[in-house]
Amino acid sequence: MNRKMIERMLRTFALAIALSLLCPAQAQDSGPLYERMAPIDQYLMTDPNTEIAFARTAAPESISRDAEVLVLGRHGYETAVKGKNGWVCIVERSWMAPFDDPEFLNPDQRLPLCLNPPAARTHLPLTFKTTELALAGQSKTQMFDSIKAAYDKKELPLPEAGSMCYMTSKQQYFSRKVGNADPHLMFWFPKTDDMFWGAAASDSPVDVHQYSPQPITEFDISVSKWSDGTDAPRDQH
Amino acid sequence: MSPKLINTIACFALVVVLGGAGPAHAQDAKTPYPSMAPLDQYLMTDRDAEIALARSAAPESISRDAKILVLGRHGYETAAEGKNGFVCVVERAWGAPSDHPEFWNPKVRAPICLNPPAARSVLPLTIKRTEWVLAGLSKAQIMDNLKTALDRKEVPPFEAGAMSYMMSKQAYLTDEDGHNMAHLMIYTPLTDAAAWGANLPGSPVIAASDPLDRLTVFLIPVGQWSDGTTAHMDAH
Repeated sequence: MNRKMIERMLRTFALAIALSLLCPAQAQDSGPLYERMAPIDQYLMTDPNTEIAFARTAAPESISRDAEVLVLGRHGYETAVKGKNGWVCIVERSWMAPFDDPEFLNPDQRLPLCLNPPAARTHLPLTFKTTELALAGQSKTQMFDSIKAAYDKKELPLPEAGSMCYMTSKQQYFSRKVGNADPHLMFWFPKTDDMFWGAAASDSPVDVHQYSPQPITEFDISVSKWSDGTDAPRDQH
Repeated sequence: MSPKLINTIACFALVVVLGGAGPAHAQDAKTPYPSMAPLDQYLMTDRDAEIALARSAAPESISRDAKILVLGRHGYETAAEGKNGFVCVVERAWGAPSDHPEFWNPKVRAPICLNPPAARSVLPLTIKRTEWVLAGLSKAQIMDNLKTALDRKEVPPFEAGAMSYMMSKQAYLTDEDGHNMAHLMIYTPLTDAAAWGANLPGSPVIAASDPLDRLTVFLIPVGQWSDGTTAHMDAH
């Protein structure tokens, strides 16, 4: 362990002690963050036009201007703009993260995606189903079981060949840990192993997310620019 | 990186891997390489150097366990058996369209590591084409043979998820300025480029389709060479 790391740990530890002394009651009462669903209003965006514009920022304007756009209402996603090119742009919320993500119910998460036609056909049904369960107030365990059952009964489709999406919005917000991460493309496959695309290898430019209970593997490839054409900082991961 | 170089690399990426007739953009261009050079100019004298160059297509964590092919006088030969299903190989210029000005460019060295589906379903086209070139067939005969092989299903069917790494800093893909670009390639059956938003203003994805090969290649520049150093990836 180098000196920088030790100093950082000591500072963090000292800060934690100071906070616990200053706010003992709060420290005792507060459990882990995002364990429960926050009030629904915190997940909604008040202005549909803002959400439409935000959804479109997921991809370059040459793609998103002709895409269908969905916005989140109190009972699920609704079509806000009809599309012409088969693409669908949408702002996903935190419950589309893996179930073991500590920020699974973080109401601040805003994840704009533009999905190509195969992904619109086979990924969006998962988005709709998961969102429906979240808005119905199901617990994380109930949601997990419902999604598993839906795949077991083949009520949800597996990713169609060529399913992919753009996540290149400069305003996207993943989590307190990674912020807006970096612009990237995502590719979905029926469950496969990490090395299918060499993603388990160190120094590979391909990232992988294995979902459960969804039988889905997602490969991510970072790109250099945000959808507005500006350069993205390097090495955010 | 100039749009011309990007186009050349995209075109080369497609045809080197797939073989066949690509876009006819070069019909009016000068032909600096009008015919095949002596075979020795396409071969690498040092087998170990070719193995190392092939491996440089992907990070060492992938290529160290990959099967390696090297080019001999009659075609590609296995130089090292692999353990992870990837295959690394240094491709040559004759993958270009028959009317491409660099079709016979003996300087081209295109290291590529193909994942298992691509090794099974895309690489066989490269191997066949190379055999035909080394057997002295004309461009027209090679194109005819390719069509026949596909029609008769003499090459394995395409497998979903086929992709490859081309991240060698030492690659020489074209005479165009820069000669090179670190990128990944993803293969699909013949697909409209728009299905992935490719070739549109601002898109980071470049696509090239070849009806003869019945495949589309989507090319995505990446920000690092296989050795971990930073690469420029300004595709547009």
